[in-house]
Amino acid sequence: MRTERLVQRLLGLAAGCSVAVTLLIFGFMVILGLPLATGGTFFRMFTSAWLPHQGVYGIAPMVAGTLSIASLAVVFSVPVSLGCAALISVLGSGPLPALLHRLVRFMTGIPTVVYGFAGIFLLVPLVREWAGRGSGMCILSAALLLGVLIAPTMILFFSDSFASVPRTYLEAAEALGATPVQKLLHVVIPCSWRGLTSGVVLALGRAVGDTLIALMIAGNATAMPGSVLEPARTLTAHIALVVAADFDSLEFRTLFACGIILYLCTTVMVIFTRRIGAAWEQQRW
Amino acid sequence: MNAPAYQEEQMKPEYKMSSENLDFYYGDFKALHGVSMDFKPREVTALIGPSGCGKSTYLRCLNRMNDLIPISRVEGKVTLDGEDIYAPSLDVVMLRRKVGMVFQKPNPFPKTIFDNVAYGLWVNGIKDKAFVQERVEESLKQAAIWDEVKDRLQDTALGLSGGQQQRLCIARALAVKPEVVLMDEPASALDPIATQKIEELIHELKETYTIIIVTHNMQQAARVSDVTAFFYVGKLIEVGDTDTIFTRPKKKQTEDYITGRFG
Repeated sequence: MRTERLVQRLLGLAAGCSVAVTLLIFGFMVILGLPLATGGTFFRMFTSAWLPHQGVYGIAPMVAGTLSIASLAVVFSVPVSLGCAALISVLGSGPLPALLHRLVRFMTGIPTVVYGFAGIFLLVPLVREWAGRGSGMCILSAALLLGVLIAPTMILFFSDSFASVPRTYLEAAEALGATPVQKLLHVVIPCSWRGLTSGVVLALGRAVGDTLIALMIAGNATAMPGSVLEPARTLTAHIALVVAADFDSLEFRTLFACGIILYLCTTVMVIFTRRIGAAWEQQRW
Repeated sequence: MNAPAYQEEQMKPEYKMSSENLDFYYGDFKALHGVSMDFKPREVTALIGPSGCGKSTYLRCLNRMNDLIPISRVEGKVTLDGEDIYAPSLDVVMLRRKVGMVFQKPNPFPKTIFDNVAYGLWVNGIKDKAFVQERVEESLKQAAIWDEVKDRLQDTALGLSGGQQQRLCIARALAVKPEVVLMDEPASALDPIATQKIEELIHELKETYTIIIVTHNMQQAARVSDVTAFFYVGKLIEVGDTDTIFTRPKKKQTEDYITGRFG
């Protein structure tokens, strides 16, 4: 009895700590970002460009960079991940699915910097040649590589939710003469919407939050990107770059605004996933 | 004018389905030992026997549902209209369209009643709306559930009672016009009234289809079937006219089972 209570307290403490840390970080960012808001520069930041020499610290290009790189990465990654997950849990036969599953799990353990490194030497030259201009360090390169980075998250999520489709549905479809592909399209995918959406949102969160790939591959230009072949800087890379150079200036304080945006992005995504999950639970397919 | 049809009739073997020395293994475990039996067209055959005797395994060999089990293995021969269904050249998808199946637990898809019945047609590539509509109605009527659902075809199938769901699953199996219908204890999860409806339905379906039904319930086997086969520990002990099996069984094991001395 006593040990049970002790364990309960310890677990409660752990849970309390993690909640407190999350809230404190948010509070910290708001408080330190406050001078911006009172100075009247807060809202201008979201619309203007980044021209520190003229005293203009807008982060609009970084917001654009983050959004375009992250969403492109998801667009590249979703079809590949869907196919891979389908191969693992529905279509594959023999030793292939298990092998693929192991490989994907292994991929989650590779340090991001290794991906970045491989990207610089393999992907960037390829994109440079294909585009025929620029350095090859651009939104497209970063998004492609980020797509590879977030794929394992999605694949594991997708294949888990595919595998949890009730056997009775699969048997019913099978007995009606559905081909494996029809089974996938008409039964497995519709039954897994919840897992699919959470996988996508989680991967999107990872793509938005990733720093290193963008820092290494995207080119880090502070100008507003005009096309996917132009370099761009993400919010996360921006924070890393400015922090490395400076500690107390208006320039530095704008970072808190970047932090708040990233924070809100994650929160919105989590709420979104919950909502969608609940809605799908209600009506299934 | 009828000559080709007549010739075709002549060419058809006497039996709709047959198995010859069928062995089935789950890994190292031999679940079926040399089962040979024949199924005549438009007859109901009941497979009876105690739990674990292999009757469901045998049933699932007849439309290759056991293919889904990774470590299983089949030896021997099963034929449909004289054609070996385990031949490498045979298309399993086509086989399952000819040999439909109804499961123990009603398993409608979490879709509307209409979509459930239409599903088999869609996977067959039939898209003509009027045709699908017609076939859905016909199948629901055949499965004796039309009157209960005709006003709510667009409601979810999960809102139906267990008995209705099972008849819906039968309609779903019939919609693709199979030739043989396999039923794996179709009434074991249902109450007596729903069970009676399923049994009446089997009587009507027999006019058109060859039906093979696994059942735990011996009264049910006696009521619905023309032929009864008794399985015990993976072997086919005895097969014969239902009347004969239940009144004058030749084997002692069959007699012990049907008189309730074991199992």
